[in-house]
Amino acid sequence: MRAGNASGWRHATVFAFALLCPGGAARAEGAESWKEIETKYIFGFTTGSGIGIEGEKEFTVDSIGRFGKRDGHYAATETKFEYEFTPSQFIQIEFGALGSTHNIGGVADLDSRNAAAFAGGFAEFRYLALERTSNNPFSVTLAFEPNVRLIDETSGEHVHNYEFETAVNADVELLRNRLYAGFDLLYEPEVTWTATGDTIREATLGGSAALSLRITPDVLVGAEVWYLRHYDSPTFSAFTGDAIMLGPTLYVQLTPKMFMIAAWNCQVWGREVGNSLPLNLSEFQRNRARLKFAWEF
Amino acid sequence: MFHHMLMPIRLTLAAACAIALLHAAPALAQQAAEVHLNYSNGAFQPNEVRAPADRPVVFRVKNLDSKAMEFESKSLRVEKVVAAKSEGVINVRPLKPGRYEFYDDFNEKARGALTVQ
Repeated sequence: MRAGNASGWRHATVFAFALLCPGGAARAEGAESWKEIETKYIFGFTTGSGIGIEGEKEFTVDSIGRFGKRDGHYAATETKFEYEFTPSQFIQIEFGALGSTHNIGGVADLDSRNAAAFAGGFAEFRYLALERTSNNPFSVTLAFEPNVRLIDETSGEHVHNYEFETAVNADVELLRNRLYAGFDLLYEPEVTWTATGDTIREATLGGSAALSLRITPDVLVGAEVWYLRHYDSPTFSAFTGDAIMLGPTLYVQLTPKMFMIAAWNCQVWGREVGNSLPLNLSEFQRNRARLKFAWEF
Repeated sequence: MFHHMLMPIRLTLAAACAIALLHAAPALAQQAAEVHLNYSNGAFQPNEVRAPADRPVVFRVKNLDSKAMEFESKSLRVEKVVAAKSEGVINVRPLKPGRYEFYDDFNEKARGALTVQ
């Protein structure tokens, strides 16, 4: 029954894809002979459910840049230097160091600065809760990521920040070896002690949806949308604003053991509590970009 | 302040250990199904194999060629380099019914599949 439903749903998707993209069904048939692909990194900022394969190790350099506030100029980056390994067929573990840069001038409520620094460390634990098979196109992974920061992500000030990111990463193979959809749910509580002794508790809640099309065996292009909400408390009692980010994604398998991803998101809608101006540029940024290179060994 | 930093990391590691044990226990209790494969002239023989559902699977891959091969599968989530003229043993978790493809990562043309019923 379950396999039958999945098969019917796939045929409906093939039909829809063929209508939207002339010749798509024919090309999808060719993709049957392609190797299966790891889905974790094919959706840009959205993380797929993949956890790698047992015994696989990977080193990655993963940079996220945030650009644009209400006024002045604002550019901040955070780069993860990450070691990733898969000790079992259900679990993946990652850890590494964070580096940051801040180039800020003339932005209200932020000190101007031009600095680069070691920013802290992180670890991530991923558990594959539901695995994809040929009879079930869905896959779900639960992820937990504690972060320790010595530099504030937004302002670049020296702080002690502890964040515990919790995420559900799900994806579905819509067309075999060809078209994938990804969905993330995110809850990110954090506490920050500033240099002046203040304690700030906040949380970000969000969700995303992404679509990625494999145009050749080694290249996927797609688009994603994120909805993010910010609270001045970890329990959602003090809502301060929300935003929608939208943008394209790219994944390229450069060699059998090396790949890169690139993604760009632009804030297309947002609101701040107590501010009638469009967009939320207090908690979020106008644009964000991601560039990641990974080497498996 | 340092204790605040360690607590989530400790919780994460404890959860990792608990889940690893949960998965290891039933796998150890069940007898594995063995799948024997030969690799020669750049191809798997046989290239279609079968195994029962919900039981661990052990692949015994005998590389008869004079150069190394890498048995790999995204859906089985395993990889192992098998040296020339030697045998590699690959342990796989209990599998749900379905078709699982495998290949030689050093040779694009060498493909095979495991059907689990």
